[in-house]
Amino acid sequence: MSNAQLSVRDLEVRFPTSRGVVEAVNGVSFDLERGQMLGIVGESGSGKSVTAKTLMNLLPRTAEISGDIHFDGEDVRAIASGHRKHFWGVKMTMVFQDPMTSLNPVKRCGEQISETLRYHLGMSREAALKRSIDLLEQVGIPEPARRVKQYPHELSGGLRQRVVIAMALACEPELLIADEPTTAVDVTVQKRLLDLLDELRRDRGMSMILITHDLGVARGRCDEVAVMYAGRLVERAETEVLFSDARHPYTTALLRTIPRIDQPSHTRLVPIEGRPPELVNPPDQCSFAPRCRHAQADCLEGVPTLTNLDGNREFACRYPANTEAGRTSFFANEAAGQTVTGLTIAQPSEVN
Amino acid sequence: MAGSGHASLRNSENVLLSVRDLVVEFPISRKERVHAVSGVSFDVAEGETLGIVGESGCGKSTVARAIVQLNKITSGVVEYAGTDLAQLEGEDLRRVRPELQMIFQDPISSLNPRRRIRDVITEGLSIWNEGTGSWTQERIDELMNAVGIDPKFGDRRPHQFSGGQCQRIGIARALALDPKVLICDEPVSALDVSVQAQVLNIIEDMKVRYGLTILFISHDLSVVKNVSDRIIVMYLGKICEIGDAETIYGSPRHPYTRALLASIPEPAPTVDPSEGNIIGELPSPIHPPQGCRFNTRCPHATEICFSVEPTVNAVDGNDHFVACHHPVEVGVSLPA
Repeated sequence: MSNAQLSVRDLEVRFPTSRGVVEAVNGVSFDLERGQMLGIVGESGSGKSVTAKTLMNLLPRTAEISGDIHFDGEDVRAIASGHRKHFWGVKMTMVFQDPMTSLNPVKRCGEQISETLRYHLGMSREAALKRSIDLLEQVGIPEPARRVKQYPHELSGGLRQRVVIAMALACEPELLIADEPTTAVDVTVQKRLLDLLDELRRDRGMSMILITHDLGVARGRCDEVAVMYAGRLVERAETEVLFSDARHPYTTALLRTIPRIDQPSHTRLVPIEGRPPELVNPPDQCSFAPRCRHAQADCLEGVPTLTNLDGNREFACRYPANTEAGRTSFFANEAAGQTVTGLTIAQPSEVN
Repeated sequence: MAGSGHASLRNSENVLLSVRDLVVEFPISRKERVHAVSGVSFDVAEGETLGIVGESGCGKSTVARAIVQLNKITSGVVEYAGTDLAQLEGEDLRRVRPELQMIFQDPISSLNPRRRIRDVITEGLSIWNEGTGSWTQERIDELMNAVGIDPKFGDRRPHQFSGGQCQRIGIARALALDPKVLICDEPVSALDVSVQAQVLNIIEDMKVRYGLTILFISHDLSVVKNVSDRIIVMYLGKICEIGDAETIYGSPRHPYTRALLASIPEPAPTVDPSEGNIIGELPSPIHPPQGCRFNTRCPHATEICFSVEPTVNAVDGNDHFVACHHPVEVGVSLPA
């Protein structure tokens, strides 16, 4: 795995707060090959955005970070402490969720893109503006020469997000991190933006990390998908493997809980009971155990480690779904009517 | 896409709420107006869940707010159980309001942060002078149990609950006055998927338990399909298509409905993914296009679409209506 472009090992991020230390990211490791698209999915508070911000060196100084991050063999955390100017924004860039807040409302779009080019590449004002127009054209904005003179509020949400993408691409990055890039836009716009990102990635051989809470988006676009829960990476696999044959009970529960367009109306949904755990002083146990239908007594003793199976999938569970151990544990819990953590499991006859 | 006309209205005694030619416009200057909703007609039968789906700016929330008279109606009729709500004023309107209750998108900001949740839920009953007796307290406990909030937490304040729990409290508040109609405006958009399923199940349970008629508004096509019996697709203040949930998803006829179904990350099998590649941007609702409002982006548009506004017409017989000059022919309607 040493030829991976991005390699993250045992990443931990902690935020000291008045209520205690929040363990936002807890032992996350993954590799990203050049030109690949990795999806990171999870719900609010799962640590996916904090992971991205750590990679981009955007966390506040109070954050306590440990672990290794290597990009093209270079130690990224050493670059951070060395205050190197032309790494973030040049080799590694990021697109954020809300295009309105990631653009400066009192500057014209052209100036904002030019700023990046002039700062990092030392371009002249004229050259930078000309290049900005090219970039807007590449991201599919009609009449780019007129748009560079407009302010962000004059553009629609979809166009604004394209301007943000143009800014991120200005210095031809090798890795683009997109944090919920389409959450704030409508479905037809979402499709066009994702198509655009796909196309740009292929044309430029760029790698991408796509962070999303939408499993459908991850399924349609990513080569590999990592699932996060409560600050930990609980499962990672090739996209089709993950969606057809998931191992972690959280992944399978998540897949079951989403209404699907191919189900008839009024199909009873299967919610995940309970709520995500607190990240302040979490107990030394599987963080999903209190909500898990497979949970056994030893799930409460120590955090399960990420098991790597033949390189293309890993998961952190002792009683994985779609395996013999998982089935046995679930049937035992079902017969008992509840799990070791007190989660009630309805008998099949009671499920309506 | 126009979508004026009454073809989709059912002439049945069972109809509880009927909206005819609803127009809502917001003036923005002396000359200009935002045409938020332009001539929308539909009806909701008792006990039915009607879903309204569409993208931002299509007017779906404005329709919901106009029904409960939170927006001033420019013209049109909102008939509830035989009375036109748009004509009611003052005390008469106040008397009808308990029958139509609403739950909102942001569960936390729709609850007063300074009040205990028991008081939040009881407020409607107190206003109607029913807030003191032990019967009321029993009713509140029953409601809280029904939505899955333990009544012993009644003294807590909204910030002590998660978003999903706050949305359940919002549902309990809406149900306290025993409404007939529940209007849900994007009730699960702000929630995580695992919590979304809990709230959707509760809405379904409450519908059965309290015999509700529901108007469910969402931009999420899979969510709308899950809860709805009948679905309206809107675009730029007009209705594109109305039909049974299975019909809309199984054999969509309007080019815009098809574009929506092709744009979602895992497209419906009934449409070709390329149909999702609609061009251009949403036109301004201040100067909506003449003729069919979808004409600037529609792959099937011809001359007539730019001059004549299509009306809502029945297709395929079974309660399926489309406002389009060139509805897409679908072969065999696939099982959804």
